Amino acid sequence: MRKKPYHFFEHDRDLVLAEIGKEKLLSALKNMLLVRNLEIRGEAAYQQGKVGGFYHSYMGQEAIQAGCVAAVGVDHWFTTTYRCHALALLLGATPNEIMAELYGKATGNAGGRGGSMHLYAAHLLGGLAIVGGHVPIATGAAFSIKYLKKKDLASFCFLGDGAVVQGAVHESLNIASLWNLPCLYVIENNKWGMGTAVERAVCVEPIAESFAPAYDMKFYTLDGMDFFNCYAGFKEALKEVLATSRPVMIEAVTERFRGHSISDPALYRSKEELARTMQRDPIVLLKDALIGKGMLTEERFKEMDKEQKEIVLAAMKFAEESPDPDPMTLEQGVFAPEEN
Amino acid sequence: MDAQVVEIREALRQAMDEEMARDPTVLIMGEEVAEYNGAYKVTKGMLAKWGPERVVDTPIAENGFAGIAIGAAQTGLRPIVEFMSWNFSFVAADQLISNACKAHYMSGGRFKVPIVFRGPNGAAAQVSCQHSHCVEAIYGNLPGFIVISPSNAYDAKGLLKSAIRSNNPVIFLENELEYGDKMEIPTEEYLVPIGKARIDREGKHATIVSYSRMLKFCRTAADEMAKKGISVEIIDLRTIKPLDIATVVASVRKTHRCVLVEEGHIFAGISAEVGFQIMEHCFDELDAPLVRVCQRETPMPYAKLLEAETMPGKERILAALEEVLS
Repeated sequence: MRKKPYHFFEHDRDLVLAEIGKEKLLSALKNMLLVRNLEIRGEAAYQQGKVGGFYHSYMGQEAIQAGCVAAVGVDHWFTTTYRCHALALLLGATPNEIMAELYGKATGNAGGRGGSMHLYAAHLLGGLAIVGGHVPIATGAAFSIKYLKKKDLASFCFLGDGAVVQGAVHESLNIASLWNLPCLYVIENNKWGMGTAVERAVCVEPIAESFAPAYDMKFYTLDGMDFFNCYAGFKEALKEVLATSRPVMIEAVTERFRGHSISDPALYRSKEELARTMQRDPIVLLKDALIGKGMLTEERFKEMDKEQKEIVLAAMKFAEESPDPDPMTLEQGVFAPEEN
Repeated sequence: MDAQVVEIREALRQAMDEEMARDPTVLIMGEEVAEYNGAYKVTKGMLAKWGPERVVDTPIAENGFAGIAIGAAQTGLRPIVEFMSWNFSFVAADQLISNACKAHYMSGGRFKVPIVFRGPNGAAAQVSCQHSHCVEAIYGNLPGFIVISPSNAYDAKGLLKSAIRSNNPVIFLENELEYGDKMEIPTEEYLVPIGKARIDREGKHATIVSYSRMLKFCRTAADEMAKKGISVEIIDLRTIKPLDIATVVASVRKTHRCVLVEEGHIFAGISAEVGFQIMEHCFDELDAPLVRVCQRETPMPYAKLLEAETMPGKERILAALEEVLS
């Protein structure tokens, strides 16, 4: 792999802090803690056999989607990968319905049809689990936005570093640029496509800085561990997209704390490497910044963490006590109802 | 009632045109549909009438534009996607298979996918191995798809209009060799309902179940049999899925003998499914084993003689009828 230096998006932290304000910052931190707690408890439930299928944790990457949603709101279209618990939460799916979906219950986010990899919200098209296959879908949402002349909206497509080499991604990027579609392609480079290191799968890094010019797109490289950098970068990128009706490419450099999925012990990564990564825990970084600005205390942080844990424990109770899907409903929903 | 004589391609164009006038969210997308006026001229004149926002030329990137159309369908539009040949849909298979037919169920009913994929299916004239496959058995195997394959201009127009209005993904299979077939159809607007087979010809001694271009061969075979005093009932499925098994079974209960004719391959084909359902519904009514006439188990060869040999034709249908009647 040809590795060139990264050029990170630059932001003035104090300006960003002032712009967001204490209330919104604490709310974002709370959301990140909710995601973290949900992943921890979801994994525990999996280990107890309450959750089946695959389980892909977002732990370590929280600042990216939390920063994005804090910066751009929930009215745009969003599409993401199988690592979808965080975005569903951030876009309004409740902890109860998400946990119930993980448990495969009738009260779940998709009625027990989708599971861990297929979560939804009013403007979240999934939770789609074929690597790269969701990128045309997100591009289609951008097509609709343009067709329906909704000038203040864009489509956000989150994909992994492993997906950027898929043909569907290339086709989407070419068409989005050709047709001037308002789409933000957000590559979350978490260093690993399952157990294959990014440098063994992608021929060049940085990804966005190298790929975007070929599609005549603007690009942004974000520090995916830094909430402020993500917030400022997404805000700026959206502004660009809405002003120009052109797609952009974003690479958020991060690293997941867990294996690819719960069944992956991540033996390909040394303990020292992981420990180094976890030193830049996005939640701790945000917490420390807020404490430094006098917006938060260590005690209040612990309380917040505990509150989020309680919410997740209550969601587990809700899921536990929820009914299984009625087998009589098995064939319901294969087809959408017809109007006539 | 006023009538007009139109080719199938014109009937299809009228269907799209009328639905675009009726609903501003309907658009057409595909390779060469706009400036080139369609590879087979089905979309002729539509760019001039509706403009490039609603008649959209795409690059040769089926996986990309099929997926984009599916995403657009999930977010408020009703796209019609033209595949220049259904054989090119294989490049877009992931989008059709993993997204189009599953999104509604997988999302717990949150996102519907009102989309029509249409284009010529099966063999044309000597276009060989990679341009001649029949896809209905492949897509028919996937829950969530509606599969339609009309055999004449009347049904093509009425069914395509119903397909565009459907809230579900529709696989709409046309035939290149039939685009020029003419028929008198009403000038007034009409719909043909999805999921209803049609009795093409009434008869009492044997039933043929078929669809699309194969109907022609079935009719010539039935004509031959008529000369011998044998009357053959022909059923045109029109919609392959959902299958109108009731119409098929009613016919078999009458004739007690049945031949299934399909352009596609015999293994795990549509005839295998229809035949099995006949067995499930009215085994005791059968006076002879069912016989299938399908494409032999080869890719489509180029040479004319070999092409004719692998395809079902009048002679093979006649032999099958003789077999069920013996």
